[in-house]
Amino acid sequence: MSRVDDLPRRTRPQTGTLPPPRALPPSLAGNPTLPYPAIAQELSALRLQIPGVHGCVLGGVDGLLVTHNLQNGADPDDLAALAATTYGLGRQVGLRLGQGDFQQSTVRNAGGYLSVYAINGQALLAVVGTDSINVARLHLHAPTTAAKLAELLDGVSPTTS
Amino acid sequence: MGNLDIALKNAMNIDGAIGAALVDYTSGMTLGVAGGTGEIDLTVAAAGNTDVVRAKLRTIEMLKLDDEIEDILITLGSQYHLIRPLSNRTGKGLFLYLMVSKSRANLAMARHQLRTIEESLEL
Repeated sequence: MSRVDDLPRRTRPQTGTLPPPRALPPSLAGNPTLPYPAIAQELSALRLQIPGVHGCVLGGVDGLLVTHNLQNGADPDDLAALAATTYGLGRQVGLRLGQGDFQQSTVRNAGGYLSVYAINGQALLAVVGTDSINVARLHLHAPTTAAKLAELLDGVSPTTS
Repeated sequence: MGNLDIALKNAMNIDGAIGAALVDYTSGMTLGVAGGTGEIDLTVAAAGNTDVVRAKLRTIEMLKLDDEIEDILITLGSQYHLIRPLSNRTGKGLFLYLMVSKSRANLAMARHQLRTIEESLEL
């Protein structure tokens, strides 16, 4: 009995260190007032600019798909959810280390890449690339695309549903 | 890393050098940069020239030459750009990139010095 008590125990973390709660912005998914043709043009421009990009997914930080131009048969809904998961992890890291807002995250696997870029507080851009993609070039071009998408999403009236 | 910094510093000591970088052509990212000016962003140059190196490697492969690139020279109006893939085992997939001013540099000397730097670079 006493032996168990001697073992080190995990103590409760101190209260008050949790990140501040935040109100979620209204979801962009399914909003009919979004400028879809202009968004599609930006996404395909990025795909054409950089060889090896399979496609892009525009999703909300809530994990819901807005639009996509994937060509390789990956499920865009899954990718939108994965992008939001990546964003969540990045956001926590930013909060813990006091490094500010999430900007970009890249996952490299044996057969390819997934890069997630923050567009604004509400939306994310996920880019799927082959293993041979020029990632440096992607990192040079994608933030410009993200900035243009932020502009396009800016004046959109939020849906109430 | 000291070795890399010394190599880049030596590259910048070549007459007429404007900028130098060590670049990974599997990703296009730089391992180190030296020099450059306000207008010339070496990371952009590295990403762009990665495609040059890849295109040439692919061409060599398609021609079934079974050979490798020793260096690539690009002549601009006012500059020479030298690309030199690393040939030793530790530098696989990397290349040295050097920009020199055409009016101030001795091309043969710059090429020779870059070869010396490449040979002595162990990562």
